[in-house]
Formats: sequence, structure tokens, C-alpha cells
Amino acid sequence: MISNEAKKEIDFWVSKYPEGRKSSAVMQALTIVQKENGGSLNPDLINEVADYLEMPVISVQEVATFYENYNHKPVGKHVVRFCHNISCMLNGSDELISYLEDKLEVKTGQVSKDGLVSVKKVECLGACVGGPMCQIGDQYYEHLTKEKLDNILEDLT
Amino acid sequence: MSEIEIEIDGHLVKASQGDSIISIADREGIDVPRFCYHKKLSVAANCRMCLVDIEGVPKAQPACSTPAANGMKINTKNDKAKFAQKAVMEFLLINHPLDCPICDQGGECELQDVAMEYGSDVSKFNLGKRIVPDKGIGALIQTDMTRCIHCTRCVRFGAEVAGIVEMGGTGRGEGVKIEPFLTEGIQSELSGNMIDVCPVGALTSKPFRYEARTWQMNAVQSVARHDLVGSNIYTQSYRGKVKRVVARDNDSINETWISDRDRFSYEGLNHESRALKPKIKVDGEWQETDWQQALQFAVDGIKNNAINPDQLGVLASKHASLEEFYLMQKLARKFGSENIDFRLDQTQLSTGSSLESSINLSEIESVDHALIIGSYTRLEQPMINHRIRKATLDGASVNTMNSKNFDFNFKTKCDALTAPQKLLSALQSVLKAVHLKTNQDTPNDVSDVTPSEIHNIIADDLIASANGVIVLGEHLNSNPNSLAIINLIEKIASATNLKIANITISGNSHSAEKVNFIPSGNGLNAISMFNDNTKAFLLMDVDSEYDFIDSKSAQGHFSKEDVFVVALSSFENQSTLRSADVILPMASFYESSGTHINFDGLVQSYSASVKSPGESKPGWKIIKVMADLLDLQGLDYVDSTQVKEEALQSSKVKSSVDEANIQSIDDSQVTTHWQYAPYASDSVTRRAKALQESNVGMINRAYVSKMTAHKIGLSDDDLYLGVPVSIEESVAVDCVFIHTNQARRA
Amino acid sequence: MNEVCFKNLDKENPASFATYEANGGYKVWRKILNGELTPDEIISELKTSGLRGRGGAGFPTGLKWSFMPRNQEGQKYVVCNSDEGEPGTCHDRDILRYNPHSVIEGMAIAGFVMNATVGYNYIRGEFMEPYYRFEEALKDAYKAGLLGKNIQDSAISYDLYTHLGAGAYICGEETALLESLEGKKGQPRFKPPFPANVGLFGKPTTINNTETFASVPEILSRGGQWFADLGVENSGGTKCFSVTGNVKNPSNFEVPMGTPFSKLLELAGGLKEGRKLKAVIPGGSSTPLLPAETAMNMTMDYDSIATAGSMLGAGSVIVMDDTTCMVKTLTRLAHFYYDESCGQCTPCREGTGWLYRMLQRIIDGNGQEEDLDLLLSVGEKIMGNTICALGDAAATPVESFIKHFREEFEYYIQNGKSMVEEQHNLIEEAASV
Repeated sequence: MISNEAKKEIDFWVSKYPEGRKSSAVMQALTIVQKENGGSLNPDLINEVADYLEMPVISVQEVATFYENYNHKPVGKHVVRFCHNISCMLNGSDELISYLEDKLEVKTGQVSKDGLVSVKKVECLGACVGGPMCQIGDQYYEHLTKEKLDNILEDLT
Repeated sequence: MSEIEIEIDGHLVKASQGDSIISIADREGIDVPRFCYHKKLSVAANCRMCLVDIEGVPKAQPACSTPAANGMKINTKNDKAKFAQKAVMEFLLINHPLDCPICDQGGECELQDVAMEYGSDVSKFNLGKRIVPDKGIGALIQTDMTRCIHCTRCVRFGAEVAGIVEMGGTGRGEGVKIEPFLTEGIQSELSGNMIDVCPVGALTSKPFRYEARTWQMNAVQSVARHDLVGSNIYTQSYRGKVKRVVARDNDSINETWISDRDRFSYEGLNHESRALKPKIKVDGEWQETDWQQALQFAVDGIKNNAINPDQLGVLASKHASLEEFYLMQKLARKFGSENIDFRLDQTQLSTGSSLESSINLSEIESVDHALIIGSYTRLEQPMINHRIRKATLDGASVNTMNSKNFDFNFKTKCDALTAPQKLLSALQSVLKAVHLKTNQDTPNDVSDVTPSEIHNIIADDLIASANGVIVLGEHLNSNPNSLAIINLIEKIASATNLKIANITISGNSHSAEKVNFIPSGNGLNAISMFNDNTKAFLLMDVDSEYDFIDSKSAQGHFSKEDVFVVALSSFENQSTLRSADVILPMASFYESSGTHINFDGLVQSYSASVKSPGESKPGWKIIKVMADLLDLQGLDYVDSTQVKEEALQSSKVKSSVDEANIQSIDDSQVTTHWQYAPYASDSVTRRAKALQESNVGMINRAYVSKMTAHKIGLSDDDLYLGVPVSIEESVAVDCVFIHTNQARRA
Repeated sequence: MNEVCFKNLDKENPASFATYEANGGYKVWRKILNGELTPDEIISELKTSGLRGRGGAGFPTGLKWSFMPRNQEGQKYVVCNSDEGEPGTCHDRDILRYNPHSVIEGMAIAGFVMNATVGYNYIRGEFMEPYYRFEEALKDAYKAGLLGKNIQDSAISYDLYTHLGAGAYICGEETALLESLEGKKGQPRFKPPFPANVGLFGKPTTINNTETFASVPEILSRGGQWFADLGVENSGGTKCFSVTGNVKNPSNFEVPMGTPFSKLLELAGGLKEGRKLKAVIPGGSSTPLLPAETAMNMTMDYDSIATAGSMLGAGSVIVMDDTTCMVKTLTRLAHFYYDESCGQCTPCREGTGWLYRMLQRIIDGNGQEEDLDLLLSVGEKIMGNTICALGDAAATPVESFIKHFREEFEYYIQNGKSMVEEQHNLIEEAASV
């Protein structure tokens, strides 16, 4: 169920677009309900978003499966989204991703046993001068090293 | 649009500014390969197969999305164009399975055809091919999405034509999947057109699966007979059986689409209950016999029971052909009976033909306003509804006066929920409002009515409309005051200068009316016929369980000891076996030649597509022989063309306007409206397996509002007249709206 | 350096309204509100400045703005493309973080010129810090009475909203971005019609990149000629470059157009100790790769880079030193385009996967001799045949990498391992012995 708070937040986005253009808010609506649902979407939520924005449900599903930031399987409490594109790669992102996988005993795409962290390889996050870098929540972490990663992981609770 | 001149493959061609290159090429007979382009759908330009060379433009351009400009020099076949086209072909084929030998699309596959010309013999692609898991999408359409080439014609068809967005492209990149969100199956009544628009074997006909190869089949031009439109079709048969029905283009009738009912009903022809041999009932037992004996038995029975000629009743379903209607009424009248009727499902019967429509099919899409009274047009007359939807896409508004708010595929502006027993007074209120607003004199019958707010809105829209239409639907047929209602609607239309689209009648009713397949003089109609005097009946394609408005009376009467019933029927119904004395097996749809007269009054003849099964014979021939055995003169026709020509000479009888005497109804009583779901419409469709298993086919609900449910003590999922109850606010108060595939019980 | 978009970078609180205003910000906008500037004057000034679209295509901004049917009735829109995602590019992020008001002012000016009363800034969904900064700046601009309806009784209205993406590189393509803004999949539209006629919600729309909008106030404040003179012929003004990869100090620099590449490399601290320059991608991953020597001789402007055989693109300079394996690097880029293809049109949907898989197969040690020619031929068949430029972008690196470093690819196919890594390992072994 979409909470009233989430609905209020969605309404804020809806208010930005002209009359009859509620569907412009669909991406944020999905982002909001995904966050509320612990980081992933499910068919019920997609149906509810469709109802709320008066869209055909398949159109919402199209959006939900097109954009990278939506998850359709449960994820860890924190998702480490690690850039592996060219600028980060040239600065050793592959090595750091392996390090992370070993440390958390997960493969990318999986959730750590304690459910705390999942790791996802992503394409360029637009912080190339800070590579290697990753995103956790709203936060970017740049110029990463193994030591920095250790500290970041330690702070995740 | 200003006229321009372009050069295409060396030909100088005139065109209008803004025409797409592909439309010009098509007009000029220049073949440009394409997959995503479809003349009736929006341009997508996603397949890239139609890339052509335009002089002075560095890249090849898609012919579908590039508008022609004056002086443009286009080459569709030079090296640059061919290189681009072949490149695209190669990309399309790398992930397309090589399963043509087991693909139902084989032989009529656009990909296969184009690959013959543009494909390479040897594939350079040596990686694994993509496999796409299938989601079932219902009983009508078979999906093999591994074959999909992502042209999105089906997606666009849903959004643009069917008006129900069900299919979409999920995921992205190589992983894009064309699929619906839900797995409960497609809801659209036009869904089968997705099969036609699919250029490959991704969407094929489910009932046709593995039945025949396309090139083995015999295609015959025919006309669909389920509704008033008479959609143009091809029947495709293999070894004497119809295996598939597809649309045949006719822009003024069905454009390039057909309804699912027209497409899939043929399955009913091959149903196990087909009547294959003549049968007679002797001492209450059925026995098979030969034609000669059966016909003699029938004729003797008629003679012995209808001692006086007016003791014979002649009834036919509205789906008979013009020729059959004509011969049957001629037989009856020669015999001396005026007891003739096809209007089995109406509560009130006029003495003449039904209210005439004043608009053509193709004009409906240009109306600026429509008022729909008593119709779920989308399911009842899908192609007419399609034209209304097109009008709404151009900005037309639609209001409704129905006893339930239906799922139209367009937005309605104002829905005046009206229970059947309140429709008459509601229309009086609308008429009064119209008169008040247009300063016309108020006639006596509505002088003391005070228009309600919603009726004022409806009146306003009617008055404001410059080019509108009032649509009368088949729900009016069961209204006890249907004649008075229709008169009122006529008055409203004339006071507001609106056109009339009368779809209260369906099937081939216009043919029946053309040849006066209704009683004249002292003749009895389909209601009054069931009295003690009528002792013999000749029935054509009548299923007394389904077809009569009062099926109890009809069945009761047929079953009487002293009533002799001759049934010309393609099926051995339970009801026929119970009530008939002779069954004369008759050819069904597509099994005999005939004529259909459609909504526009257009006369469309068709020949038989296949021979009728077993010993069954075309209806018109059976009647002809019976007339002969009854010693009636003037029915010795050589062929059906002769019958048709004579039939078309007839002129129909108009109803007198003021025959309606208003029945007073206690409008606080709860009424039940029994509405057949679309796939219960006729004997063939009721036996079409896939249609019956589809979402629309399974409609079976008694809808009632909360208040009314409380009043009569119903709750959700109770059975009401055998139909499960749904409590919804979309139903008029004091009305139970039953929408069902079940035989009438009320 | 840092004269236009990054001009407040060295100030305290560079993103704040106060800093922006104290340094001449909103001067132009206030002039407009006072009726002291006409749309024609602005367009003419922009044409003089030589400002070209900074998003990558380099279309002259003044000309683009003049295409908008400003006198046509009905709603029109201004859209800012802050969906920065071209690998190697991250200067728009810094503009949003450190100079958001310049984007707001630039968009407002565009709105005035186009007679558009509503603008949207489409910021990629991951840019939450830039989003918050921009939203705060918006709030301040509204508070200062610089946005809204009938602003300061000028009869000019302009409302500006942010829209957040959700992760799709393709939304950086302007028509895909419009689709996304309408709540759909980010699939590019075919053209014509162009957004100037049929854009957002079917209305005339002008879309420019963040840096383009951010440059406008300063240009109008100091004059088109001043800006033009900063740069070189055909490439007016300054440009923000992201210098990334194998350099000591990867960073964003705003330098005049025409600055030698060698100078830019120097600014980024040069290469790491003991390394040699191997190749450079000058304009983001979609632009052709150039070998070291060619790169060292070029200057950073449209014409010089074009002469060198590549494109200025988004000004995203990716530097590779001699330890870089070209096969692996290209494979990573091929994966990127394969991953980000929207799937709408055939050559890109099918071709990007084909390219990536062939390259991955080479890396996996299963390459075949004919693969290189096939890679080139597949690239050639994608090129020019797609709806948008992503197809070309996917084919471009394949062509340029193989063209300049064919022997590395051949070595990999023949030996199932990387030539560069082999050499590098040998050197390291030798050093450790």
C-alpha cells in the first residue's frame, strides 16, 4: 500500500506538470514507493502507482523496467552502486569491486547474508573526476581506495 | 496541402506536401520493404527497414517518417538504400529463430518475404540466439515472442485502435519484451487484429495453431454476419473446413479491422453438436432418416396441424440471409399465413420496420457529439463503436443514458445512469429541456415535466452539437415501452437536428425488414404467435432457449402435444430436440451463398466458402423444396441469384409513428435487465470454443448497486437468476443489470 | 581559466544566491524585467558570441533559439538537459553544485526569448546533491522575486521546475529526455518534427545543455564579442573540460577554446610517474579515440579536434597511458552501449549486443580471426541507420580503437591474453628481479 506520506510526496511532483499530465510524475512516484518498500518494487505497487496516476498499468511497468534505478527483487538495506565505466575502470574500479565482493561474500547483484548490503555494478554516474567512485543512497563516495571502502562499510548500519 | 513534385526511382510523381515517402511509394506501386509501418497506425520508424536514399542527405532516411518535400530525389533501390536495408535485415534475422517450418506465419510472413529479397544466404552471426519466455495472453492469441521483431504494431494497435493499452514493451535494449502486464489475457473485443498486424509469427491465431499451412488453404471473399456492419473477410479453409477468418480491407465498412466475434466464431461450425442428418420424432423418439422422408414428414405435419393456413407460424433468427428470409416469407404467404417474424428478442413489436438510421458508418467518425442510449457499443457493435471512438479522438464528446456505466474505450463526458423503467420519463425530461432551451412549443405529453440537472446537460450538448448522432442500442428491445421511447428519441433528434444511428437491431435484420419478414394485416408477431391457435411452426436457426424475449412461453408452446415444429437448424440444440418434431440439417455461416444488408443499406453477397457438413443443405434450398412439396407456386428458383434479385424488388413497410401506447410501470420496483454478452449472440458464436474461453466470452455477472442490493437482499457473489452478483456503484438504482453468456432466465 | 561557468568557484559559498548576485548575477535578468533587452538583441548577441551547444552536438545556440516560433500562441517550454551521463563527463554536475543560479538565469532568459513561461531542468536521478543544491537555489530565486507569475510587474512569467531521472543514459538524447519528462520510457523520437515545433507535451520546446544555459548570463552581461574573443574562430568562449583517466589530478577545468591539449594535460597534473601517453578520447566515450601523437598536436576546439579525426563532444577528455589494454577498454565501452541501448530501433538493439558479445568472446580467449572485420562491418551497418546517435556512438569507438590499435586485438585473438598486460607484467617482473 502506498502510504499517505508517499502520496503527498507524489502529489508534490504531480503539481509540477500541466493539467492532465500526471503521468510525468511516474518516475518519481516509483522512486518514492520503492524507497518506502525497502528498495524494490513489486506488481502490487506498480498497479497502485498506475491507479494513483490514472495510467495504464503496462505503461507504468514499461517505465519501471526501462530505468536502471528500479529494482524488481529485494535488495540490501544499503545498495552500493559501483561505477565500472571507463574513467573509473582506468583508475582501478574492477579491483575494488572484486575487493568488495570478497569482503561481503557476495557477487554483484546479490545481497549480503545479513541483508545489510547489496552490490550493483552500474554505468557512468557522472563523477568521473572522482573515480573510482560509488553511490550509496543519495551519497557519492569518490577517489575510493580499499581503506576508504572499509571505513564506508563500517559506517553502514 | 500544397502540391509538390518529387522524383522517386526516376519517376516524376506529384504528391501533397507532408505526405510520407512510403505512402507515395505505395501509391505508385514502388515496393519499399517495411515492418513497423502500417497505414492505419501511427508512424514508429523503429524497424528501419524502409531506409531509402535521398539525394543530398548523408544518411539513408526512413521512408515512413520522412515527409516528402518539393524537388526531393529519392532512390529506394540504389546501393546506399540497399546497403542500409540489407544491414537492417541482417540485424532482424540474427535473433529471429529459424523455425519457419513449424511457424504458423510461414507463407504469409512479412519477414520471410522480405528476407527472400534482402537477406543473405549465409549468416555471419555465430553467437547464441535470444530466447524470450512467453506469457499467455488468453484464449485467442498464441504468443511465440522469441519470434518478435519489436515493430510495436500490436502495441500501437492497442493504444490507438482498440483503445485499451494492454501490450507494451518492457525492459530495454536487447531485453525489450513485448508483453502485457497482466496474465489474465487480453480484454479487447478487437484483439485478433493484433494477429493481422503482427508481421511475423509472434502473435498468431490460437485456435488455428498447427491446423494448416497458409498456402494449403483456400481463401474465399466473404461477409461477416454477426452484427450490422457486415465486415469484409476472407474465410480460409482446408479440406472443406473453415480454419481461419481474416480481415479484408474495405475502408467504408470495416477499414482493415474485424471484431473478434467475426474472426473466431467459425470454430462453432466444427462443433460436435452439428446437425448432420435429417431427423424425425416418432412417438417421442428421434430417428435418423433420409431427406425425402424427413421433408415429407415435415410437410405432412404442417398440413395436418395447420388445418387453417393462419395456424402456421414462421420464425427465423436475425442471422438468416436475405434469400432465406425472402423464401420463408414467400412460403408462409403463399401458404396463407401472415404469422411471420424475426424479432424474437423484443418486448414491443411495431407493425413496420424499425426506425431508420440517418447516418452512414463512415460518417460516424466525423460527428462532434454522440448520445448513446441503451447500448454497450464496444461489445455489441464493435466496428460502429470503433467509429465513435475515432470521433472522440478528434474531439467529439459522448454522453450516455444506460442502466450501467460500461467500459467504453473512450472517455464519456456525462453518464446519466437510468434504470429501464425510468428511461421513458428521463427522455421526456430531455425533450422538455430541449424544448425550453430552444423556445420550441411544448407538446402535451411532456408539458408537466421538470428537467433534471443531468438531463439539462444532455440537452445542452445535443443543442450545441452541429453534427451529432443519437445512438439507440439493443438494450431498448427489452424495455416495456420501447416503442414510445424510440418515438421520443426521434422527436429529440428532430428538435436538435441530430442524426440517428439505430443499432437496436443487429445481424441481418435489414434484410428481414427489406423483405417484410414481419406480419401484416391480422398476422401474429413473435409475441402473439404463442397462442392456442398456432399449431405448426417453421423455424430457421432458432434456439428457443436463448433467442426469445420470453423463452418460457415459446418453449412451453413448442412442446405442446398438438403443436408441430419443423426446425431448420445447423445444430441439434437441447431446446430443439425437446420441442421440434423434425430437424432439417441446415448449412451454417460460410456454407451457403447469400446476401447481407448492412447498417448503410449496402447489399453484400457472398458465395459458399465450404460445403456444408454431413447431409446438411443450404436453407434456401430446403425452403424451396418444402414449398414444392406443399404445392405452393412461384418458388421454383434455379439459383440463389434469382432469389436475391426478386427479394431486392421488395419494399419494406414503415411503422406508423403513433402506435405506441405507453405502459404504466411502477418505477419504484426493481427491474432486471437481461443482456447477452456478445459471444452469446448466435448459435455459431455460442459454440466457438476459443471465444467462449476468452475474457469477453466468459462475461457472466449480475450487477447491482449497493442500495438496490440491500433493498432486494443480495450480496456479492450470491446467485441471482443463476448469475453471480457483483455489487457496484456503476449500476442505476432499482435495476439489476445482468450481463451474461447464459440462456435467458428472466 | 574559470571565467564563465566556474567563475565563482574560488569564492566562499559559490552556490549561494548572495555570491551569485554579488558577482553580477541576475543583472541580465533584471534588465529584461525592466524592459531593457529584447529577444532579438539577445539572439543577436548569442550569435556574435559563437556559443555552441555544449551537450555534444555543438549546434549554434543563437540559431537554435531563433528557430522557436516565439510568436505562436499557446504554451512553449524551455528544458535544460542536466542528464549528464556520457562516460568521462562530469562538469555539469559541478555547475549544478557550484553555480546553480547561472542555470536558472540562463533558462529564464531563454524563456523570455522563446516566450515560454515554463521551464524544466531534467537532472539525472543519481545527482541528489546537485538536485538539492539546485532546488535550494530555485527557492532563493523565487524568494527574491525573480521567478513566478508576472515577475515584478513586468508582465513576464516564468516558472521553473526540476524533474529527476531514474537511470538511463539515453535520456541525455534530447527527444528521449522529452519522452521521459512525459513519464514514458526514454525512447528517442524520430525527426522531423523537431522539438522546436513539437516538443514537450506536443508544444514548441527548446532544449539546451546545463553548461549552455549557464554560459548565457555571462555572455549577455559582458557581450557576445567578449565571449567570442576568449576562444578561437568557430569555437567561441571557454569550455568546461573533464579530464579523467590516467592523469595525476583528474578534474574539471574551464579553459578558453583553442587551449592546446598538452596544456590541459598539464593542468591535470600530467601522467603518473613513468607512464607514457597512449591515447586520448577527447569528447566523451562516443567520440573517436586518438593516438597520443595526434592528441598532443591538437588544440581543444571544434575544428582542431575534427581535423585530428575526432570530436569535441561534451568536452570529456579521457586519457589513457601505456598500461591500458585497448581490448578490455573497448569491451567495457561496448558493454556500456549494449546496456544503455533503449531497444527501440533494430540496428542498435541487435547490433550493440552483437558488438559487445564478440568483444567479450575475444577477452574470454575465444576470439576468431574474422572477428575484427566482422566487428567493423557490424559497426558500419549500425552507423547512420538508427533513430538517434546512440547507434553511431556505439560503433565509433569500435572503429577507432581497432583502427589505431589493431595489433593489440589481433594479439588477443591469437594468444587469448592481453598484449599490454603481458608487456606490463614482463616489465614489472624485470623490475622485481
